[in-house]
Amino acid sequence: MSPRAPAGPPAGAPLYPFTAVVGQTAMRHALELVAVSPGIGGVLLRGEKGTAKSTIVRSLAALLPSGRVRTLALGATEDRVVGGLDLEATLAGGAPRLMPGLLTEVDGGICYVDEVNLLDDHLVDLLLDAAASGLLRVEREGLSASQETAFSLVGSMNPEEGALRPQLLDRFGLCVDVRGETDPGARVEVIRRRLDFDADPDGFLARWAPQEEALAGRLREARALAPRVGLPSPVRDMIVDVCRRAGCAGHRADVVMARAARAEAALAARTEATAEDVEAVAEFVLAHRRRAAPPTPPAPQNPDRPHQDAPGEQRGEPETGPDQQQDHGARDSPPGPAPERTAEIGETFTVRDLRIGPDQVPRTGSGRRQETISGDGRGHYVTARPGRDARRLALDATLRAAAPHQRDRRAGLGPGDPRRNLAVIVEPDDWRQAVRTTQVGSAVILVVDASGSMGARGRMVASKGAVLSLLLDSYVRRDQVALVTFRDTGAEVLVPPTSSVELAEQRLRRMPVGGRTPLSAGLLAADGLAASLRATNPGQRQIVIVVTDGRANVGLDGRVSRGAQDETITVAARLAGNGCTWLVVDTEHTAGRRTRAAAGLAAALGARCLTLEELRADELAGLARTARRAATHPTSPPARS
Amino acid sequence: MERPVYPFAAIVGQDQMRLGLILAVICPELSGILIRGEKGTAKSTAVRGLAALLPERDEVVGNPYHLSPDEFAVYADGLGLDTAAPPSVERRRVQIVDLPVGATEDRVTGSLDVQAALTQGSRRFEPGLLAAAHRGILYVDEVNLLDNHVVDLLLDSAAMGVSTVEREGLSVTHPARFSLVGTMNPEEGELRPQLLDRFGLCVTVSAETDTASRIEVIRRRLAYEDDPVAFAASWQAAGDELAARIDRAMRLLPGVRADDDALGRVAATCIEAGVDGHRADIMMVRAARALAAWDGRTRVSDTDLDRAGRLVLPHRMRRLPLEGIAQT
Repeated sequence: MSPRAPAGPPAGAPLYPFTAVVGQTAMRHALELVAVSPGIGGVLLRGEKGTAKSTIVRSLAALLPSGRVRTLALGATEDRVVGGLDLEATLAGGAPRLMPGLLTEVDGGICYVDEVNLLDDHLVDLLLDAAASGLLRVEREGLSASQETAFSLVGSMNPEEGALRPQLLDRFGLCVDVRGETDPGARVEVIRRRLDFDADPDGFLARWAPQEEALAGRLREARALAPRVGLPSPVRDMIVDVCRRAGCAGHRADVVMARAARAEAALAARTEATAEDVEAVAEFVLAHRRRAAPPTPPAPQNPDRPHQDAPGEQRGEPETGPDQQQDHGARDSPPGPAPERTAEIGETFTVRDLRIGPDQVPRTGSGRRQETISGDGRGHYVTARPGRDARRLALDATLRAAAPHQRDRRAGLGPGDPRRNLAVIVEPDDWRQAVRTTQVGSAVILVVDASGSMGARGRMVASKGAVLSLLLDSYVRRDQVALVTFRDTGAEVLVPPTSSVELAEQRLRRMPVGGRTPLSAGLLAADGLAASLRATNPGQRQIVIVVTDGRANVGLDGRVSRGAQDETITVAARLAGNGCTWLVVDTEHTAGRRTRAAAGLAAALGARCLTLEELRADELAGLARTARRAATHPTSPPARS
Repeated sequence: MERPVYPFAAIVGQDQMRLGLILAVICPELSGILIRGEKGTAKSTAVRGLAALLPERDEVVGNPYHLSPDEFAVYADGLGLDTAAPPSVERRRVQIVDLPVGATEDRVTGSLDVQAALTQGSRRFEPGLLAAAHRGILYVDEVNLLDNHVVDLLLDSAAMGVSTVEREGLSVTHPARFSLVGTMNPEEGELRPQLLDRFGLCVTVSAETDTASRIEVIRRRLAYEDDPVAFAASWQAAGDELAARIDRAMRLLPGVRADDDALGRVAATCIEAGVDGHRADIMMVRAARALAAWDGRTRVSDTDLDRAGRLVLPHRMRRLPLEGIAQT
């Protein structure tokens, strides 16, 4: 019985053939290009669920000369990805021996990461370094080695589950946005072929074998031809021009496009790339690099100024001090049904470092990722570091740390020592603790006051800008976000906890505004959401940010009441200290007469209270960050006016 | 003697849930069912009761991976199984494996065998729940409370039908194809869309509102609690009949045809419902074929498609309300 694990996955269940996939021409085309020219730097397949993304990548293996498509499992640990000490060989041989990692095994092939947006940051960094440098460095457990490896990275992801870090996005040479077929005939063909394949996989494969062989042959020839394909200077100029017009940062796009154009020519068995080749590949290169518009840093402006394109906003004169419309209470609610409107999203800005409270769980390290040395085994075990707490022992790492010393230690044991019977003698110095990470550092629950009073004098526009800024900030820190609004008679969870800022932004844009202010209901809804998140993910921190002017006029029974304000304070006091971190953003106009109701709410919640203006980070740093975001993340809106 | 579980056949009402569970058994390619509903609606009882009705299939004995003879030929070497003697095969009932909500990553995927590592210094794989669930049913109660990392692992193996373990110095690939049966109370939070999509079927259960049914629920529950053995015995025949019918349907399923008109209707329905991708289409045809087989027919009818749509589409729709689909 050999405990030795296989070097690669066995040829298991038959794979659906590449050429039998219906439609999805762009996805197939991009993968063919990468198979011809690995230097392109891989493909990212972005798209909705159930569009054959994984199927098609895995089936590519049959068409590659190396036949190697290795899937990097999301649960992989660092030692298996880059390599680590081979425990058995080291114990048997007495000298440290390296066991190559997956990235060495995949040399000459494709490393596939399904749900690449969910892969741990730690592993993503390792993966990127190896893919870019072609060199794999192992520095662990007394080993120091470096190996060459050349592989293409293919990732697939469903954007609903969260975005990919901009740095990682740019590292993928090509990108394809995948959608399901909408033509009924094509859809029927998708179903029919899948049923045929399920019913008789071997027969199906046999029927498609000629097409598979033809494509494999074409790719083989193209691969041989690709290095000899010329790139005439007009074509080169065209590439530079196309990339510049798309506003790509850096030169990676140019280089990738040149390689892809040559691969395209090679696929057509030509020895010179043409303008048509460039056109055929340009979209793949630019899809994830294009800037929405030239970056124009927002001019410093008064965020309180109502935006001219906000129809239905109640506007007062900003200069005239206290505004009657701002006066609050049931009496000034407009007659008739509460008007329901939406407001534009105001200017976004960089949120200052909120420095929210001390952590509730022990964490080490810093940055975006939440690292914990966890005792309950929750989270994903990525790597290990020395530590003396036996309860958190990472067994494999501990044994590997002990392995090189076995000969010496055994020699030092007395004849009656019971440890002689053990295969591995472990000393406390060898102890390693598991470092586990959880994917989302915290959950940020935004509770937004959408009542009529917020519509006054453009406060809603500015508040939405602030909320979007907080959302973008959460995106950068990879927090989960949820959006709760309250207006008129109750609260509503507008966006359930998600990692998708795009989704949250869409909902925020369409958020109805108007009516009275049931603040207590909003607080309770947020608290309920936080409680359910705590149940799912005990290590997670919940931050509830309440964006309001703090003036409640509807009680929990949904009725207008003078006691609503007191009720809110009572509710807030009860929620304080329930495990969430609360923060109040006061939207009240700082220029006018102030009720400071939000400050009272904050005090009851035991929370800090910031005005919209105080929420901003240093203006200069803000400008830089907005510009950078525009460059790398065209889907999130910088400064809209 | 062990207390028998509440018999599946004795559940009052909840027709849609019972049908869904049965279809998931008849056609494992549906990859399971999500049961949503309030507390106390016999969700877990139904899943537990299902165990007694599950069919048997060939399995190579003497390993923890539930391999079929064909799979054994492919995977045995890689998994370090003994291939010297021809494998002995026996009929085994499809198993239900519980995935507790608090399960850690290493319990799910498997991990380094501690004993072998310490006493022999060898690196041996101790299989986890994914291996145990292969060709069976993986049951997650409160699936919406599952740790995010565990969900990722489930998605990973659900996508490929294999589980690849790359951790703690191990590199192991073993088949892990299972039906995922999840129950959840939506009040406690929703599922991630990607995981939701992996469930072929979805039903929503609510308590019976009809007085007579409610009285019957109480009556049977009390009878069961008073004397579980006698109660189970009294439902034995009904259970056997269900199991036999499931067995017949499974034999019939490969021969069930869905003609081009039916496929066209499926495609049109899915386009209209605005589902993501093509999984809904394929699942809907599978479900319709399983329904035809369950009724003892070899041709998919329009009624099968309507009923399949009600099981396959509700959790995948983006635009239309539930009422819009099945009524054509």
